[in-house]
Amino acid sequence: MKFIVNSAYLLKQLSNINGVITTNPVVPILENFLFELEKGSLTVTASDLQTSIITDIQVESKEKGSIAVPARILLDTLKNLPEQPVTFSIDESTYSVEIISDNGRYKLSGENATDFPKVPSVSNDFTAEISTEVLSRAINNTIFATSNDELRPAMTGVYVNLGDKNTTFVATDGHRLVRYRRTDVKSDNGNSIIVPRKALNLLKATLPSDNTDVSVNFNMSNAFFKFGNIKMICRLIDERFPDYDNVIPSGNNIQMKIERNDLLGALKRISIYANKTTHQVRLKITGSELQISAEDLDFSNEANERLSCEHEGEDIEIGFNAKFLIEMLTNLDSDKIKLTMSAPNKAGVILPAEKDASEDILMLVMPVMLNQYV
Amino acid sequence: MEEVPSDKPTLRKIIHIDMDAYYASIEQRDNPEYKGKPIAVGGSPEGRGGVIATASYEARKYGVRSAMPSRRAKELCPQLIFVRPRFEVYKEVSGKIREIFSRYTDLIEPLSLDEAYLDVTVDKLNIGSAIDIAKLIKQSIKDELHLTASAGVSVSKFVAKIASDMQKPDGLTFIGPSKIVSFMESLPVEKFFGVGKVTADKMKRMGIHTGADLKKLSESDLTRYFGKSGRFFYKIVRGIDDRAVQPHREIKSVGAEDTFPYDLKETQYMVEELEKLAATVHDRLEKRNLKGRTITLKIKYSDFSQVTRSQSFPIGTNDKDVIAETARQLLMATDTEAVRVRLLGISLSNFNLAPTIKGFEDQLYLFTDDDL
Repeated sequence: MKFIVNSAYLLKQLSNINGVITTNPVVPILENFLFELEKGSLTVTASDLQTSIITDIQVESKEKGSIAVPARILLDTLKNLPEQPVTFSIDESTYSVEIISDNGRYKLSGENATDFPKVPSVSNDFTAEISTEVLSRAINNTIFATSNDELRPAMTGVYVNLGDKNTTFVATDGHRLVRYRRTDVKSDNGNSIIVPRKALNLLKATLPSDNTDVSVNFNMSNAFFKFGNIKMICRLIDERFPDYDNVIPSGNNIQMKIERNDLLGALKRISIYANKTTHQVRLKITGSELQISAEDLDFSNEANERLSCEHEGEDIEIGFNAKFLIEMLTNLDSDKIKLTMSAPNKAGVILPAEKDASEDILMLVMPVMLNQYV
Repeated sequence: MEEVPSDKPTLRKIIHIDMDAYYASIEQRDNPEYKGKPIAVGGSPEGRGGVIATASYEARKYGVRSAMPSRRAKELCPQLIFVRPRFEVYKEVSGKIREIFSRYTDLIEPLSLDEAYLDVTVDKLNIGSAIDIAKLIKQSIKDELHLTASAGVSVSKFVAKIASDMQKPDGLTFIGPSKIVSFMESLPVEKFFGVGKVTADKMKRMGIHTGADLKKLSESDLTRYFGKSGRFFYKIVRGIDDRAVQPHREIKSVGAEDTFPYDLKETQYMVEELEKLAATVHDRLEKRNLKGRTITLKIKYSDFSQVTRSQSFPIGTNDKDVIAETARQLLMATDTEAVRVRLLGISLSNFNLAPTIKGFEDQLYLFTDDDL
């Protein structure tokens, strides 16, 4: 088979889906792109068995055929070619691929397309439409709080619950939790799934910046995302998500309101002086003053800053992992935030002080116990 | 006189001794109330929860395993008794076991407190039979220490180790040279040294289930799929394992040092070198799963005079940045003006007996068992 395509255009499309390919895949053929040509349309698939991304590329051709092409060599070739139309000439009996450009000819050996694992086909058990903007925001706001602990697979993904009033995205690593809720995305027949982190990262990287709609279909085992000329299929995490509603405290009656950027800046400076393992910082709220301090006894390093804040309730002294706080504050975009607490060993809750109409975000973080140094 | 190489090299006689449920058995021995009961030595399931170091055979019936989170174990076996480890005792008993080994050979390679390889090709008492020696060792451990061990006897470390696992507890398995090839072919891949769960899953997805399947692959294929371990698999599945039993002392310190092509005068370059050394030391600690409580900096000057400075911490570390930063501070505490340094070295010592489990020491946990 033979087709002609613009090199830069092909490179852009392939780069979009290349992220799914792992360096040392379970089956070697997954180091390839699967090319399927029909009626001037080239369908390219990349997969790691868990997640597959498919893109449709318009090419010049009247032929039909398929081949698996080594991804690394192909991408490297395209990256180093000046933009121009290139001809792919593929011998399907020997799996040899020849790329012909103005600069010269490059021959590489492909593999039999039929050896490429089958991608599960789309099923319509459940459908929803989400705008790319909402989806990116939901991913960005939750993905950082997922766990790396393979022993708790449920926490290595983001839990998505589609309800008739809203849609909730939840991520937790057992020490902190983010609940991101949209009232402008809803669905009549409620359902919930856990989408693996890798798939969401890929989605985040591939989603277009214009505000098109993403159509999401899923059944019990797979989710399908479709936007523009890209389709992504990922295996869902078939585990029970922890009962997160239970751990969100309702009786946090100590409240502090503060400028987000002031707090973030202070934490970034103070955390330099914190213990390198626990990243523990101490927040002491008395009257309308917040004192942040850290000490690393191993190095006799210490630092502290004072900030003014609006404070309601009793005074408190509580320890947190500065890394967690910094990540959470970075992901919020309101000018002011609220931190609510009840005791030095109970969860703290961070909320934006001003609420957006269609979104509701709640971040929860467990404290690090303070040792009372003499 | 030159030795004449013979066609048939003398086969080695290797014994692998593995104590049965070591920590748990010691606890059951010392605390009669634990006898016959499911017990687990390790972290308690309370709070953030620890993990299990060793479970007694009674507990294993419920599916309780080493390295399992204690909470999970409690779910599987609600009557499970959690016992705090007494590493000092285990270490002491281990010394006694080693003393028993040393009656027969000095070629002892301890793998951990409860496991060792012995090379008894030549034994001190001229017993000759490795099987008899294994029996005698097992009997002495039983009579003198009231514990049981399982032994594997073969001509290589790899086969001996697998053999010791075949009839646990209190077993003795001999795999002779004539049986090795068929034995290796029938062996499930997860039994191969270096094959953990991930590699085993990968192999199974590729249709490799036994040694025989593994044998079908060429050396280059195996290296392509499994990297460095691939070459090892290639050899081992053909019964080729000439790794010697290496009697080594317990690791007391792990370090790295570098003599520079030119003597260093600027502190800035010394600090850069310390960062490199810290990274090397970190890798070496990681490989051995060690964390040291003492960091030592060694400085050799151009006149070959040498100083060492060290600092100790309450908890062990293997953190690259901590090591580099401590070394830097130790360096700064010496006189760095107008000196020329020809060598810098960093070492960590004072290892925690129990390998520390990576995690947050005082970071509180969000969920209790009921939520998960």
